[in-house]
Amino acid sequence: MLELGPIFRALLRNKVGALLIAVQIAFTMAIIVNSVFIIYERSQETKRPSGLDEANSFFISSSGFGENFGAKATIEKDLTDIRAISGVVSAIQINAIPVSGGGWSMSLQTEPGAEHDGVGTAVYMVNENGLDALGLELLAGENFVASDIRWRQNSESTWPDKVIVTKAMAERLFPDIDYGQSVGKTVYINDNEPMIIVGIIDKLQAPWVGWNNVENSMLSPEHQETDSVRYFIRTAPGQRDSTMKQVEELLAKNKERVVDGMRSIEYVRERSYRGHTAMIKILTTVIITLTIVTSLGIVGLASFSVNRRKKQIGIRRALGARKIDVIKYFMLENLMISGVGVLLGAGLTIALNMLLVKALSITPMDWFYIPIGMIVLCLIGQLAVYGPAKKATGIAPAIATRTV
Amino acid sequence: MLTMTNVKKVFRTDLVETHALRDFNLQVNEGEFVAVTGPSGSGKTTFLNIAGMLETFNGGSYVLDGQDVSHLNDNQRSKLRNEKIGFIFQSYNLIPDLNLFDNVDVPLRYRGFDAKERKQRIEESLETVGLANRMKHLPSQLSGGQQQRVAIARALAGKPRFLLADEPTGNLDSAMAQSVMELLQSINQSGTTIVMVTHDPQLAQQAARNIYVKDGQVSEVHDVLKMHVANA
Repeated sequence: MLELGPIFRALLRNKVGALLIAVQIAFTMAIIVNSVFIIYERSQETKRPSGLDEANSFFISSSGFGENFGAKATIEKDLTDIRAISGVVSAIQINAIPVSGGGWSMSLQTEPGAEHDGVGTAVYMVNENGLDALGLELLAGENFVASDIRWRQNSESTWPDKVIVTKAMAERLFPDIDYGQSVGKTVYINDNEPMIIVGIIDKLQAPWVGWNNVENSMLSPEHQETDSVRYFIRTAPGQRDSTMKQVEELLAKNKERVVDGMRSIEYVRERSYRGHTAMIKILTTVIITLTIVTSLGIVGLASFSVNRRKKQIGIRRALGARKIDVIKYFMLENLMISGVGVLLGAGLTIALNMLLVKALSITPMDWFYIPIGMIVLCLIGQLAVYGPAKKATGIAPAIATRTV
Repeated sequence: MLTMTNVKKVFRTDLVETHALRDFNLQVNEGEFVAVTGPSGSGKTTFLNIAGMLETFNGGSYVLDGQDVSHLNDNQRSKLRNEKIGFIFQSYNLIPDLNLFDNVDVPLRYRGFDAKERKQRIEESLETVGLANRMKHLPSQLSGGQQQRVAIARALAGKPRFLLADEPTGNLDSAMAQSVMELLQSINQSGTTIVMVTHDPQLAQQAARNIYVKDGQVSEVHDVLKMHVANA
């Protein structure tokens, strides 16, 4: 039979130790639950697909410096030569690398005029091979054709009249219609310049992984006529590393430029999410440490309680308590302490989450983290108290007849 | 009610082997009030522990209320202890964190009675010992004699057939001691068998039969009533 009432009344008469453990459980819960939420959120972010064929893609930079260096001719030749390498699926010049941390952003709006708000988007300048090179899936509309591609000077401020956007971007621009129906619609860049959406691609992330609009990207049909260029190369599966070496050697033959910054997309991704990974590791360590400290606190309190109540346990055994009754007593007592702790903890968890939402601009925690946290903390308490409770069953009932 | 035949109890350490009980034989009949006396170290407490199934023994047999308890496991002994035996200890052994109601409630909860039944039994037994109006008091708020009365109430609440009292007046002054003895006699007269361990011969005289234990064996048995008649 459960001794809820007597245990509760007995706890009220010795509340300091129990209250300290309850408070410790409350703080542990607040920190652990928020940490788990952040870990989950960060971990989901690191798993988001970029839209690229990451395993088989890389990029390389080239900066021309010679007096006779011709940007346009060099770019055309480079792309032709790179595509001729065995194992290369496609190659393009690109202004920015997805998930790399650096790139261009603009704003598109559905109505012309500075008075209208736009939707932020990453800008990738590609030619008609862009979809193939980046490994993107066209969901609706059509790809650029060669005649769409223009050469963009450094001083150029206007934009082409065609654009391909991601599905997420289309849904942000036209939330009331199916994304496919946005093909053919006109959007405006630089407040007033019209661009017609010719195609919708499934997914292409922006360069900035922490950006709220990370799924918003647009492809602009143009080459940049500039001495410093970046080439994005996609290879056949398993041939990336050997192709990287060949491309580097190929570009290095032109002595009027510096070739550098060759990186695989897998490396870029790992580097971009390094902060996330570090945070996950730190928070995991915090969770493990707090769990151990709290468990040890519970074990300590329970062990102290068992030692202090040896005689009482013997008396209970003499009066008919079975060993399981002794275990139940301590586990129930712990459950009551943990119960108070997790109730306090629920409030603290919400308060801490509100603070984090405000300070770090993270999304608010889903409600179900709270009950799950309460259950887990109670289970940790039960596991921690089981050892001392089991030890208490070793106290002989004959201790009741001893006078000292 | 209680029959011990050739019961042996040996305490062993690495160096010493102590025979606490040697071929201990005793029969206590239903409704008897038996006092067990003897010098310190004679085996009185060991006898009490074995009689109350607080300890196991090494040889012989022990039959309690018709049931051989020699081979019962820990759970079975706990159950039998709870159902058949009421304990009264020298130092009362009340649980200090629980009020009188909850103290008397302890063995009843292990018995599995429902709340209504427990409440009725607790009130009845505290009424019997004259402390019904102190149910919410803590043991520390009572005198020694009152605490022992609570212990008696706790022992009686389960309506045991057998009361085991270990120096029940050992910590009380003579007036309190006499009051407790009168309560025990009244309980005995209502049909409960009582075995009381005491080192006080005068107190033992108030029981119907005295057992003298020496060197772990029963050395003398006196029928107090017959002695009184003879002395008269």
